[in-house]
Amino acid sequence: MELRINQKAYQVDADADTPLLWVIRDDLGLTGTKYGCGLAQCGACSVLVDGNVVRSCVTPVAALVGREITTIEAIESDEVGKRVVATWVEHQVAQCGYCQSGQVMAATALLKHTPAPSKAQIEAAMINLCRCGTYNAIHAAVDALAKQEGA
Amino acid sequence: MNNRRFARTAGWLALPCLVAAGLLAWYVTREPATPFEQEQAGARFEPALVSRGEYVARLSDCVACHSLAGKAPFAGGLEMATPLGAIHATNITPDKQTGIGTYSLADFDRAVRHGVAPGGRRLYPAMPYPSYVKLSDDDIKALYAFFMQGIKPANQPNIPSDIPWPLNMRWPIALWNGVFAPTATYAAKPNQDALWNRGAYIVQGPGHCGSCHTPRGLAFNEKALDESGAPFLAGALLDGWYAPSLRQDPNTGLGRWTEPQIVQFLKTGRNAHAVVYGSMTEAFNNSTQFMQDEDLAAIARYLKSLPGDPQRDGAPWQYQAVAAVQDAPGAHTYATRCASCHGLDGKGQPEWMPPLAGATSALAKESASAINITLNGSQRVVAAGVPDAYRMPAFREQLSDAEIADVLTYVRSTWGNNGGTVDANAVGKLRGHTDPASSSPIILHMR
Amino acid sequence: MSILNELLDAPVNLSRRRFLASTAVGALVIGFGLPLGSGRVQAATAAERGTQVPAFLEIRPDGTVRLLSPFMEGGQGTHTAMAQIVGEELDADPATFIVEAAPPGEAYVVMENGMRITGGSMSVRMSYPTMRRLGALARAMLLQAGAKQLGVPVGELTTQPGRVVHAASGRSLGYGELASSALDMPVPDPASITLRDPSQFRWIGKPVKRLDAYDKSTGKALYSIDLKVDDMLHAAVQHAPRLGMTVGSLRNQPQVEGMKGVHSVHVLPGAVAVVAERWWHAKRAVEAIQVDWQEAAADSTLRVMPADFSSDKHFDFLAAQQGPVRDDENEGDVAAALKGGKTQLEATYHNQYLNHGQLEPPSALARFNPDGSLDIWLPNQAPDMFRADIAKRTGLDPAQINLHSPLLGGFFGRHFLYDSANPYPQAIALAKAVGRPVKLIWSREEEFLRDVLRPVAVVKFRAALDDKGLPVAIEAVSATEGPTEALAGKQGDKIDPTAVEGLSGKSYAIPNKRIAQIYVKGAPMLGYWRSVGNSLNDFFYESFLDELADKGGHDPYELRLHLLRDNPRLTTLLQAAGELSGGWKRGPFTAEDGTRRARGVAMASPFGSHTAAIAEVSIENGKVKVHDIWQAIDPGSIVNPAIVEAQVNGAVALGLSQTLLEEAVYVDGKPRARNYDLYPILGPAQMARVHVRIVESGEKMGGIGEPPLPAVAPAVANAVAQLTGQRVRSLPLSRHTFS
Repeated sequence: MELRINQKAYQVDADADTPLLWVIRDDLGLTGTKYGCGLAQCGACSVLVDGNVVRSCVTPVAALVGREITTIEAIESDEVGKRVVATWVEHQVAQCGYCQSGQVMAATALLKHTPAPSKAQIEAAMINLCRCGTYNAIHAAVDALAKQEGA
Repeated sequence: MNNRRFARTAGWLALPCLVAAGLLAWYVTREPATPFEQEQAGARFEPALVSRGEYVARLSDCVACHSLAGKAPFAGGLEMATPLGAIHATNITPDKQTGIGTYSLADFDRAVRHGVAPGGRRLYPAMPYPSYVKLSDDDIKALYAFFMQGIKPANQPNIPSDIPWPLNMRWPIALWNGVFAPTATYAAKPNQDALWNRGAYIVQGPGHCGSCHTPRGLAFNEKALDESGAPFLAGALLDGWYAPSLRQDPNTGLGRWTEPQIVQFLKTGRNAHAVVYGSMTEAFNNSTQFMQDEDLAAIARYLKSLPGDPQRDGAPWQYQAVAAVQDAPGAHTYATRCASCHGLDGKGQPEWMPPLAGATSALAKESASAINITLNGSQRVVAAGVPDAYRMPAFREQLSDAEIADVLTYVRSTWGNNGGTVDANAVGKLRGHTDPASSSPIILHMR
Repeated sequence: MSILNELLDAPVNLSRRRFLASTAVGALVIGFGLPLGSGRVQAATAAERGTQVPAFLEIRPDGTVRLLSPFMEGGQGTHTAMAQIVGEELDADPATFIVEAAPPGEAYVVMENGMRITGGSMSVRMSYPTMRRLGALARAMLLQAGAKQLGVPVGELTTQPGRVVHAASGRSLGYGELASSALDMPVPDPASITLRDPSQFRWIGKPVKRLDAYDKSTGKALYSIDLKVDDMLHAAVQHAPRLGMTVGSLRNQPQVEGMKGVHSVHVLPGAVAVVAERWWHAKRAVEAIQVDWQEAAADSTLRVMPADFSSDKHFDFLAAQQGPVRDDENEGDVAAALKGGKTQLEATYHNQYLNHGQLEPPSALARFNPDGSLDIWLPNQAPDMFRADIAKRTGLDPAQINLHSPLLGGFFGRHFLYDSANPYPQAIALAKAVGRPVKLIWSREEEFLRDVLRPVAVVKFRAALDDKGLPVAIEAVSATEGPTEALAGKQGDKIDPTAVEGLSGKSYAIPNKRIAQIYVKGAPMLGYWRSVGNSLNDFFYESFLDELADKGGHDPYELRLHLLRDNPRLTTLLQAAGELSGGWKRGPFTAEDGTRRARGVAMASPFGSHTAAIAEVSIENGKVKVHDIWQAIDPGSIVNPAIVEAQVNGAVALGLSQTLLEEAVYVDGKPRARNYDLYPILGPAQMARVHVRIVESGEKMGGIGEPPLPAVAPAVANAVAQLTGQRVRSLPLSRHTFS
């Protein structure tokens, strides 16, 4: 099947029920997207599909033919994504960093749909787990991005 | 799932209190007639017959109760909790001491088709002999051949039931049998074709689908045992799961399913409408996937012939799109906990993650299945020896009773679903007497 | 092994690639020589520690400084701290550093206790002078090289960041220009080195940005699980349902071998494995294997998990233990004081088992090379210990083992040398069996099955108060097994400090006190968990102290101040926490949003640092909601306040997680949870606001990563008790109902 990932077409030889996560990590070598639980619990595997955040560990690849997939590797070629990354660095969000690809993807999806999200909207969208406990830094970073937009 | 036959056994256990004792003593200890009276014990059977018997055992899902994971096949042991105490499935290996090694074919027949053990002792109807009675003589003989020759004897004493005297007396069951248990094998309907008849035979007989899917009466009898009764396979609540209608109800039954979709469901555990879960996972893992294609086609043909009941089922479901942002209680939980797999639009990712829009569990009045799967997650569906790629997580440690009630109310009232609200108390009740599903595949072996 | 080889053999690393693109590949060999295997490294005496400059530093032609850190980066910021410390003395901006984990070897044993391990919140505090000296030695070498190149006496040279400067002539040379000649310079006598006056620090003590922030925000950071080498196969395992069980027969091996993508099926000790072209295929196939598991043999060397083990029943078992009891602290006459006090109080506490739950599932990549040597990439916190273990397991000479330590996707104590809880022995066996490199990843479910647990204890307290309601005696007897005892498999000659820390070592002026342990070996394998014994024991002690305050009619904050009246450091610290919270108020009070709230206070003194925390809570839908945590921490002195604040946030999060909801439950010898669904960890909605005050007392430097955790649980529990009148004596709070 043909998948469009980061604006490029890839021929992928995978069973229909293979999770997108393992196609992008093992077949395409894009390891920025992380495996955390395989059960849609943690969000470390978040990617964008047609601009919406999706947990790639529970997304069978067959359904994605003809759709536009964006992984963390291409996040900076997105204007919003680029701002998110810059703010993530500015706010020194990451600790171990393992969940942060997913957090950045979730923030980018939120801000693409809702450029100036409210506190409640941030809380509803930023639900990925972080074992290092960077939640306050994440919230501060998204809040700053929301205010940039509002200003 | 220790208590999964609890409901089945509960009603008639009360009977000892209701029935006048002794009057019909001869009746309650008599041994039913069997065509195999003359057969000698210890006969040798052809391998083909043994293997035919193995297939009948698959159709009949004997392992579901008589085997435990990791233990000797058919050595018994599954505990079934009842309000009066626990009973345990027995050892049906050919062990002469603890199993059924001394059974003649006639003994075997009386036990399987009539619920009567040697000596006239009545089996608890947790053993679905009211269905197995429909098994053909040939199938009974084949089944006997399999149990005598196809499996290894296992010396494992049966566990006595916890039920105290006098409630543990078995003879009143004979009276129950007299009222509720049919005595005739399946007779083909001449006005139906062979495929339909084969389907009817499997569904009513070995498949004992009604054990879960047919509602029960006051004495816990199945209200109908074949298509002549409207309640047959009309959906029933059992052990914390709602086994939905298998009739042509478009909402709560199979009305929207095609015959190939039914076949696919029973063969692979999944189709565009649903994935097996709850007790059906066990039926699929151990039984339906092993059925031959023509038998599955026969089942589908038969089930498609059972009319629905528009009065019970209501107006046929139609998908209704919803605005992206929902304020309803439960909407937020749905978006954060459920939507990754089942989609914000409720359409799921068939055939791996089932749609919730139009799902039986979201349209049926009974909410038990929806609550149970949310609390406890799904057991692994093992198709053709391979465990599923995706499973439902358990939310009991993450969501309160009220949160689960809210999210299920949302699911059951969105996208055209009209199953209705879910009560937090119902969640709490089910939480109390269920356990989370294992994330490890559970395989019950027949050999 | 030359640097070039090392780089070329390394798995694809995007940040290195970027570097390669911007410089000539040949230039990589220019710089300091890196003696990598222990055979080429001299054993270091205390005086020589950290003096083998070329082992640590490479200065590249563009002036970039590559530092091989003795410590592993797992989020705690140690790589940035090392760059700050070395950079300060080297006179190079930490931002110009690339820091990676050093290989095993004596050269990297830099800690003052003669060890090399990343843990116990020891990295910075135990290596601080050594790493400063390392930077200073390197600077001296650059000055020497500069003198030679410029033809001027070394005394006329100074440095400014990244440059050697000859002020008299106005000439200067970048460090990158000097790197190749500095290689030839002898390492100066450490005694000849003068360190920078702390008042002149530019980077130490400043909120320098983390070096890994960008790579970690863009998916470029590589963890063990991400690595890849040529010709590599993937592997997955299915573990025995209970530790100690062994593989009997595989019922369906031929079918599994025939599954798509499967290379081979293997039987390992206590596990079966599938090697495949892709991990997903390996994982699905290994789950499909139907194994007849056998009960453990009587002579199993593993800690065999019994089929009837139940964590709930284990608490009853611990509570029933009477002895033998060994004292860790015994001051005054506790028995007499208990009897003689005006009021007596007794209480029994217990805690719960915990998993580590680091977000990166364990993995290991093993490759045997044609010369018989082994390259292995694996998460670890002590490379020399791991290499020694691998040498023992494989029979290889340590010099034949090239051990690589990638970034850790979460630390928390998970990466110690736990015999049954690491995938590398399996990865090595599989690589050997298939003759190709193998990367093994444990699925989350397999990780939950083999993770070592945070210990549990049942602690029985007795105390007596005098006529003023002040404590005169306290006794704590803990029935428990410490993680170090669990690793040893037995009780040592001395009490395991990791069993009782947090009960022992309290600074409160209570004249009669006794802290004792009843050693009780349990069934699950135990391990270190962030803040170790303090994570449970401070909950017990500081909660019980509040009980004493209430019983004696004292405010718990005031009581602590009273008991610390002769300890100015802790008095200052507690007052700092009080101030930070806007002045101590216990409540209950009504907050602006109309909710009823209360606050609790607790203190802890783990890992050479001291902390005081105040928590504000309310009850929301029957559950405890923690709104704010104010925490003051005195680690003596610090290197990076921004990282300290981040670590306090992280420790508070983990502390809240264990307080509110985490628990590893065992039923029938098996963990009930095999993923985050049944083992929820703190999510963003449950996080509290965190307010941090760093108090630099100037005392000996203490730890940072773990110390802010232990005071969280008792502060929250004390607040809950004040709000609800319900004294919680066990965790997590989700086991209790509140109204």
